[in-house]
Amino acid sequence: MFRRSTVAVTACAVLATTATACSSGFDKSKNGPEQDTGKKQSLRVLIATSGDAETKAVKSATAAWEKKSGHKVTVQIAKDMDQQLAQAFAGNRPPDAFYINSDQFANYAKGGSLHAYGDKIPDAEDFAPELRKAFTYNGELVCLPKDSSTLGLVISTEKWKEAGLTEKDYPTTWDELEKTADKLTEGKTTGLVTTNEYQRLGVFMKQAGGWITDSKESKMTADSKENAEGLGFAKKMLRSGSMKFAKQVDTGWAGEALGKGKAAMIIEGNWLDGAMKADFPDVGYKVLPLPAGPAGKGTLAFSNCWGVAKESTHQTAAIDMIRHLTSKKEQLASSDQIGVMPSRTSVMKTFAKEHPESKGWAEGNSYAQRPVTVPGFTKVLDQFNADLQGLATGSPAEILSTLQRNGEQALKKGD
Amino acid sequence: MWGWLFVSPMVVGLGLFMALPILMAAWVSLLNWDGQSNPFTPDADFVGLDNYRSLLAEEGLAQSLLATSLRNNVYYVLLTVPIQTALALTLAITVNQRMLRGRSMLRTTFYFPSVTSSIAVATVFLFLFQGSGAVNRMLSWIGIKGPNWFQDSRGVLWVLLDAVGIVDGRPDGALGEHRLMGLPWVEWLAGPSVAMCTLILLAVWTTSGTFMLIFLAALQNIPRELEEAAALDGAGRRHVLRHVYLPALRPVLFLVTTLGLIATWQVFDQVYVMGQGDPANSTLTPAFLSYSYGFDNAEFGQGAAISFILLGIVLVMTGIQRFLLRERGVRGQLRRRLATATARQPAADEGKEAHRAHN
Amino acid sequence: MRTTEKPLSTDERPVLARFPRPARLAGYALLLGFALLYALPFLVQLSTSFKTDPEAASHPLSLLPQAPTTAVFDKLSGSGEAGSVPFMRWLGNSTLVTVVVTLGRVLFDSAAGYALARLRFRGRVVLTAFLIAVMAVPPVVLLIPKFLVLNTLGIFDSYTGMIVPLLFDAAGIFIMKQFFESIPREVEEAARIDGAGVGRIFWYVVLPMSRPALITVTLLSFQGSWNEFTHFLVSTQSSDYETLTTGLARFVSGGLGQGTQYPLKLGAALLSTIPVAVLFFCFQRHFIRGANAGSVKE
Repeated sequence: MFRRSTVAVTACAVLATTATACSSGFDKSKNGPEQDTGKKQSLRVLIATSGDAETKAVKSATAAWEKKSGHKVTVQIAKDMDQQLAQAFAGNRPPDAFYINSDQFANYAKGGSLHAYGDKIPDAEDFAPELRKAFTYNGELVCLPKDSSTLGLVISTEKWKEAGLTEKDYPTTWDELEKTADKLTEGKTTGLVTTNEYQRLGVFMKQAGGWITDSKESKMTADSKENAEGLGFAKKMLRSGSMKFAKQVDTGWAGEALGKGKAAMIIEGNWLDGAMKADFPDVGYKVLPLPAGPAGKGTLAFSNCWGVAKESTHQTAAIDMIRHLTSKKEQLASSDQIGVMPSRTSVMKTFAKEHPESKGWAEGNSYAQRPVTVPGFTKVLDQFNADLQGLATGSPAEILSTLQRNGEQALKKGD
Repeated sequence: MWGWLFVSPMVVGLGLFMALPILMAAWVSLLNWDGQSNPFTPDADFVGLDNYRSLLAEEGLAQSLLATSLRNNVYYVLLTVPIQTALALTLAITVNQRMLRGRSMLRTTFYFPSVTSSIAVATVFLFLFQGSGAVNRMLSWIGIKGPNWFQDSRGVLWVLLDAVGIVDGRPDGALGEHRLMGLPWVEWLAGPSVAMCTLILLAVWTTSGTFMLIFLAALQNIPRELEEAAALDGAGRRHVLRHVYLPALRPVLFLVTTLGLIATWQVFDQVYVMGQGDPANSTLTPAFLSYSYGFDNAEFGQGAAISFILLGIVLVMTGIQRFLLRERGVRGQLRRRLATATARQPAADEGKEAHRAHN
Repeated sequence: MRTTEKPLSTDERPVLARFPRPARLAGYALLLGFALLYALPFLVQLSTSFKTDPEAASHPLSLLPQAPTTAVFDKLSGSGEAGSVPFMRWLGNSTLVTVVVTLGRVLFDSAAGYALARLRFRGRVVLTAFLIAVMAVPPVVLLIPKFLVLNTLGIFDSYTGMIVPLLFDAAGIFIMKQFFESIPREVEEAARIDGAGVGRIFWYVVLPMSRPALITVTLLSFQGSWNEFTHFLVSTQSSDYETLTTGLARFVSGGLGQGTQYPLKLGAALLSTIPVAVLFFCFQRHFIRGANAGSVKE
């Protein structure tokens, strides 16, 4: 017995020493790693693409910068951005530059994984103020907004004609939306298709005058009457069969449903343009502002910023690349290719002029709600999305009170 | 001297990659660690048993997620283990018949799914069970309108009771109000969701072949005289099955059942591919929940705590196995048989096979 | 194939009377139907790989593609074009890892197995107990733990981190140990009398005798590391290190804005199954032997 425990203890001691003696992947230097100043640096860029169109656009833009700067860029496509970034930060092998979704931004900024470079951008003022605000942490602009998108109601022009509808029938209220969706639902076509997540269904909450938190994101307001009314409307449409989730019609997302003729109307954002061009070039569609609810118009806005890792050894080069990627010219180019809106106010007018077809999205900018950005909220919102899957059979009030409870707990923990 | 030389790679390797990780994770499960700092320094945010408390003793999201995942996995175990064992036994007895033509062909067919990659077969099942997919096409031949499998989070019990008209939708009232671990009873009792059933089918399909082979080996070890004696006495098939086969198979039956019990608690790969907990968390399992807390949400402490709870469950199952097989001497018996088999024949293997099929 | 006309050897003769003809036919039909159920997913997979997206959606069950196309395989073999999956990269990584792991496992398993079976040294009993304890730890609870240790050692997201932890496999050691225990000692004694040392005996006498067990361990290691998923999931992060399993799993569970693309997914899954399938059909006997002994953990 004595011998056994000696062996065990020795083994543990040896293990512990080996482990600590080795270079640890956890150790981070206080002021970030020593910077590479070479002329030919090799950068890793991680993006979460909305489709082939965006991948191509980013690759060609970085290729242009490669030529200009002499550095090398490898663009990697994340399949699961949040998971891959979290793992990369924890594993201390972050890419040099990467997309950060506005709803994840606070987590990374709080964890100290980001290099704040806003002060190194001379024309930072040109970026839309509300976007800058979304990517500011502790008073510092951490990263440059890449672009912005809002949600709109996208209709299939073909289905529209088939059902004998005209421009006059574009729905502008909930009532009209419901009736039109009913009319368009026929055979394999569903009137309205969207995804079962608060990032889409939340528009109904907004249109009813509610939202998940108050405007300062310091208090949960999920269990309000307005929210219940919004989700109640969505539930009613789901139950009647005139609205379905994309996966219920065997598609990956609403854009695919539109392209394959399984949806007559969808709720999607600007990225749809690029994806339709690449996957379904022959399908005609038109973008409208979302119909107004009892509290008026409402939509959601999304944006990404270009993050630079604190642990990157190529920060200067990465920032230079990002300045190239967010330049006026590149922003307009990516608007053409992907469909997203520029984040610079100075080119927004040009965009509106060049892309009248995107008016439905562009006008949403003025009344759009941004996603929740509280650190530690991911699991809460995941749970909300999971509950929304059962919206057709569940009770909106119950779903919202769960959200309220979980959210309050997370807010308390975050303090 | 030589001995240590021969085993040292194994000792260092298993120590570094099996023992040390467990110690580290035990430490991390006591931290509030978001993955963005070094957890092995004094600055780490030590929270004691908070991670365990929020899972087991505190009403809230963590607790209801754990409860949901446990509910899902319990139903997965309760359905998968008996079905796969019964199926494997039936297949083994059938394929063992000496007069059956094409025996080896059949054996190959039944066993093949077990050797393929769980990711690849999960992909295939995803395609087969789409709303307008192959399975629903086949069901429509016999006049059944199949559900949209992977989108259907309803518990099968309520679906069945609804179909025969006992409940409408799902029962409310007391069952809906009272909760256990933050989950209403109506959820606990719902049975596996329709989506979970596809995972169960997948598990049965991939594992029954392996277990069939284990049964076959045992069947082939039944002394022929025993069968002949029974036949001479004029015993019928049923008699032989009950009085010759089943007693001889009893120890193996225990073995297969407990192997199944251990393996089914570890289902992960299929969950990752077939929905990551969707729809409505009804395919969430503790293994996946632990992963998702750690790697999706960067709450590694909470994730590690869940894996320790899962480890506890699996160790209890292993304990049950050891206990059941203890005095029956199965292992000794099997070992001897195996030793002779390996000496004679191309040989032997591991229980991992059975685990793998589930992972 | 034996025929019913021929007299059967005693051992082949059925003990019980045969079923009456109708029952027999019904039994065969049932069995055949069941076998078909087991094979059908693979057949559907095969045919879908040659279909176009719309056809896969409208005729998911038809086993003969109406307009067969090899577009899927062109896309899979293509280089890093936007929209194609980096299948070649996955294949390369899987092959590299599998080959190295298999070679390493065979070596370490047999060495450790031999030591535990034959050599007398201090701590042998403790080690055997340790091995059994290790085998009881389910791999899925090690996801976060493994990540922590790889990270601490600084080998996260590298081939080293992918390969080294897989080299040590308690179950394989047991197979070898059991096999060595069944070899008669006389052979080694004879060699020892001739003056051979332990190393020489192991390498020149014991190993050559162990072909059957070595084949089994090789096959199981190959299959195990080819199909390994969870370890690669937590030991790597960048797409450079994606294997067939992690690549395919991420692709299938994919993100927003991706169409269903089932033919492509099923084609990739099909190609990734082929190597193990080929091995299986060539060495079926060994696989079946393998599964049998199963579960014998002590």
